Amino acid sequence: MTAATTLPQFPWLSLLIGLPLAGALLCLLHRRSRQECRWLALATTLATLAICIGLFVACRHGDGPWLLREDAAWIPRFGIRYTLGLDGLSLLLTLLTAGLHVVAVLLAWPEQRRLPQFLALLLVLESGLMGVFLAVDLVLFYLFWEVMLLPMLFLIGIWGGENRRRAAVRFFLYTLAGSLAMLVAMIALYLLHGAQSGSYSFALADLLQTRLPLTQEYLLFGGFMLAFAIKAPLVPFHTWQPDALSEAPANGAVDVTGLLLKTGIYGMIRFAFPLFPNATRDALPLLAALALVGLFHAAWSAYRQDDVKRILAYSSISHLGLVLLGLAAWNTTAWQGSVLLMVTHGIVTGALFAVVAMLRSRTGTRNLNELGGLWGAAPQLSACFLFFALASLGLPGLANFAGEILVLLGTFRSQPLWALLALPGLVFTAAYLLRLVQGTLWGPAPAARAAIPDLTVREWLVLLPLIVLTVWLGLAPAPLLAPLAAVGGLP
Amino acid sequence: MIVPFAHVLIFAAILFVMGLGCVLARRNLIMILIGVEIMLNAAAVALVGGSAHWRQVDGQVFVVFLMAMTSAEVAISLAMVVYLRRRRGTLEADKFDGLRG
Amino acid sequence: MNQTLLFLIPLLPLACAVANMLFGMRLPRLFAETLAVCGVAASFLLTVLFWSYADGDGTRAVLGTWLAAGEATIPFALQFDALSAPMTLMVTGVATLIHLYAVGYMHEEEDYARFFGLLNLFVFAMLAIVLADNLLVLFLGWEGVGLCSYGLIGFWYQKTGNARAGTKAFLVTRVGDVFLAAALLWLFALTGTLSIGAINAQAAGFAPAVLTGLTVLLLLGACGKSAQLPLMTWLADAMAGPTPVSALIHAATMVTAGVYLLCRLFPLVSLSPAGMAAIAVVGAVTALYAATCALAQREIKRVLAYSTMSQVGYMFLAVGAGSVAGAMAHLLTHAFFKAALFMAAGCIIHLAGDENDILRMGGLARRGPRQLFLVFLAGALCLAGAPLTGGFFSKDAILLAAYTQGTPLFLLLWGAGLLTALLTALYTFRLVYLVFAGEPRGYSHLHDLPQLMRWPLWPLALLGLLGGLLNLPALVGGGEWLRHRLGALAGREIAATHGTEWALAGLATGLVLLGWGAARWRYARFRGEWDNPGSRFLLHGWGADAAVDLLVVRPFTAIAGLCALGIDRALVDATLDGLARQTTACGERLRRLTSGHVSTYLAGFIWGFLIILGWFLLALVR
Repeated sequence: MTAATTLPQFPWLSLLIGLPLAGALLCLLHRRSRQECRWLALATTLATLAICIGLFVACRHGDGPWLLREDAAWIPRFGIRYTLGLDGLSLLLTLLTAGLHVVAVLLAWPEQRRLPQFLALLLVLESGLMGVFLAVDLVLFYLFWEVMLLPMLFLIGIWGGENRRRAAVRFFLYTLAGSLAMLVAMIALYLLHGAQSGSYSFALADLLQTRLPLTQEYLLFGGFMLAFAIKAPLVPFHTWQPDALSEAPANGAVDVTGLLLKTGIYGMIRFAFPLFPNATRDALPLLAALALVGLFHAAWSAYRQDDVKRILAYSSISHLGLVLLGLAAWNTTAWQGSVLLMVTHGIVTGALFAVVAMLRSRTGTRNLNELGGLWGAAPQLSACFLFFALASLGLPGLANFAGEILVLLGTFRSQPLWALLALPGLVFTAAYLLRLVQGTLWGPAPAARAAIPDLTVREWLVLLPLIVLTVWLGLAPAPLLAPLAAVGGLP
Repeated sequence: MIVPFAHVLIFAAILFVMGLGCVLARRNLIMILIGVEIMLNAAAVALVGGSAHWRQVDGQVFVVFLMAMTSAEVAISLAMVVYLRRRRGTLEADKFDGLRG
Repeated sequence: MNQTLLFLIPLLPLACAVANMLFGMRLPRLFAETLAVCGVAASFLLTVLFWSYADGDGTRAVLGTWLAAGEATIPFALQFDALSAPMTLMVTGVATLIHLYAVGYMHEEEDYARFFGLLNLFVFAMLAIVLADNLLVLFLGWEGVGLCSYGLIGFWYQKTGNARAGTKAFLVTRVGDVFLAAALLWLFALTGTLSIGAINAQAAGFAPAVLTGLTVLLLLGACGKSAQLPLMTWLADAMAGPTPVSALIHAATMVTAGVYLLCRLFPLVSLSPAGMAAIAVVGAVTALYAATCALAQREIKRVLAYSTMSQVGYMFLAVGAGSVAGAMAHLLTHAFFKAALFMAAGCIIHLAGDENDILRMGGLARRGPRQLFLVFLAGALCLAGAPLTGGFFSKDAILLAAYTQGTPLFLLLWGAGLLTALLTALYTFRLVYLVFAGEPRGYSHLHDLPQLMRWPLWPLALLGLLGGLLNLPALVGGGEWLRHRLGALAGREIAATHGTEWALAGLATGLVLLGWGAARWRYARFRGEWDNPGSRFLLHGWGADAAVDLLVVRPFTAIAGLCALGIDRALVDATLDGLARQTTACGERLRRLTSGHVSTYLAGFIWGFLIILGWFLLALVR
């Protein structure tokens, strides 16, 4: 364990994974009392968030590749170790995960059906996500990768909307297909590395030393990338995502679904790119092309959706296109912009989904054609909606812009053409988001609609921190960018 | 041993094939059960023969096991036959297709 | 005094905007209104107070770092110099008066907090554009004014059309923003910084093709915000917003942001002759186009909107002709008299009972308040360029600048400018006659006009009339104050003999008189308005909206449909569903094997057994 800081010696990273899991168990044990479960879940997520913030404050100036590291033998027979590592990248993503889970639990407050199980699944998911973002042993990573799949499957399949079965099955099959490819590539890499070096190991640090012939590198890279591309999602593999996001239960889970997308990008940054540097270098133009196709295809598709949640789902794909473009540009500015955009997009889109959930619970519909004139009925809710929509379309001074402009500035420096091709996305993003705003907030209110209550205190508690964060990250993202500088293996 | 081991094996094989034929050809559950019994007995004969041939007691131990098992099996299966007969009014094996895919 | 205090100029309106948006509805109405007005007025006073900071090379103030990643470090920084100081003074001054007017104008509006919040936010964003020291801060303001424009055009959102006009304005200007952003990225790639001063200083080292490319990108960016061809379709529809908004955003300040941007980057822009020519062409063509459109408009605010477009076209022409001083002088005077005109138009619409159509007005000179007529007339004289008004001098300077360029292209543009001057006089006096002359045609009685809607017009009208003093040419004994003030930023020296100047001034006077005469002949007594294909063509802005709809909106909707339905549903989803169906069909076929008959299973069992046995036997034989 190397702690570069004054932090007391303690398995903090395991705590991040274990705490939500313990919370989930407690929730299941106390399933008689819904109220107890709610507070329990909230306390768990808050404690996790507090630890994350503490780690951020204590560790962000650490130097060396890892800010914190835990290592223990697990299955020595196969060279599998229990290794967790925290660097600038995972620090940001664990923070995001912990924060969004607090939001999710607060949003789940009014859930009626099987609340304890719902909360328990949310917490298990949090644990899985933490594991994904922290694991630096490939088998451990794969384990968590699959662990986060199951709670999501149940959350969509049990609490989802009308087409939940279809969405859940599709989500499951898609991601499973991807992870199988990754598993095969992982084992192949393990064997090749073992044959080469004589010591069989799944540790990332060991595997990084592997030198492979180019064809093998391409194949294995393809295996890893398939899993990550499906999760991210890149364009030909994206159709599970609008289904999953629009069917995921509005009360909380959908925010968290957004986090799954980040695991794809994270996987690329942490594993696929450093493990296969030559293949990565050759694949960057292809990656950029896919990113651009995704950016535009999703923006255009979003323009023709009538379901508010589907619009937001497509908007996620579109934004992640820009994130990916920043990675493909292979340039420090663009890369840091990508990570920043990933985090801010999580916050902004999470907030948008939360607002839509509040909207849905009031109006009973998510169809743009049946909404409208909301400003007159619930100005506070509408103002929040407008605020986050504007943040999402990249208004300068709000969170997304900071990431977007860094991505574009960096991309233009190394690949001017890519950046120029991405720029019209600004207009199309504005087009679908303004159509969304037009359809919900403006125009006459539908005649048949009953009076709509404005935001409650609990809902303000959810939104206010997100608003503050959106403004703060838009104006001063430097504290978040600082820990990224030391992340190894990238431009 | 008076009887050569080969004869015992041939006899057991014939007995086994007869039981198998019974199981395959007959449609009545009781007849199928009888066929199964015959096959089990064929196996028992082979085991006893082997035991005598190699002068080892293992085969006979197996046969004792086999007899105990067979009687238990027969008891249960006959009980089920009676139950099925009461419930469905028939013992035609092909009438029972509850496991059809 | 500390330089960082300069940040108070934009931040005070921002603070008031935030306060109004958050708590406006909880506060007493008077408090919210006072807050809004005081925020802007305080900025104005601060600008006056800090005036001396602009002397010499000006003052630069840094508040902190905005973005820092890799090689990009971008601070929040302001630049208060000879160019931005007068502009700041104009923006805050005009905005203060318009805020006061708005208090009167919106006195029946329920949702006042949103209105004043957005109006204050607009002032902040505009000041960010004006004072920005680097292009990213400018971009922040640039998008911010677009947002406020969007929110205020669609302020009366219950009518779908209003909100749609706002969306249209946002999207069309955003198209321009894409080009500005491209220029910004390119400049960053070239220089590694976004500081305007540094970029201007390094511009001389760029290749000519790069300079031309950058200039064209900047021009297109400016076109979006300033409603110049080809991105002009939004401005006329933007009149759906409340009148103070039209006065502030769509006449005095935001639409001139494009001109200001080109002036700000003039050291770069002026290095590219082709780019300068492009700017001048866009300006002259837009000026002429908008003037013809204004001839046939029926809504009073649309006439003014097209006139704004046309006047901004003049400013572009001035920049293209190399005269920043001319552009800025016209920008400032235009802001004064056009704001006065818009506010007077708001009064007229209010008096006539929310009547927009000038064909249904008439007779307001005698029936309406006298002072309203005078103010409107003052504004109209400035707009038409009547001798000795502010508009006369500033427009003359622009035409002179175009004329003295001397190349055939600029002579052609000068001709277009002259023609526009004639048309301007024509449509301006048409407006005056239709609204004020003759007998009332549509309204029965006049509504009351709140005091606050009357007197803020006077200072603006006077400033418009006297605007010539800003940059009075030496010809009539002036000192060209603005040009000297701008110093190195003023652009090309305009050299012309006094004879030429007198001739041009005489020509301009003649054109104004000609336009006035024609309007008087046609409209002094109301004889109905033409309604023929020609006038309808002009009324609909040369069919620009229909063209955009046909060439841009419909193809886009079709492509979007193709993506959402064609690719996602029909291609990707159908492929996957097909795969799933094939798998199910396989299972279906295998299912037949499980008949449920014990005999079948047994037979299968035996056959399998025999096959395995046979295989082993074969292996044994080998």
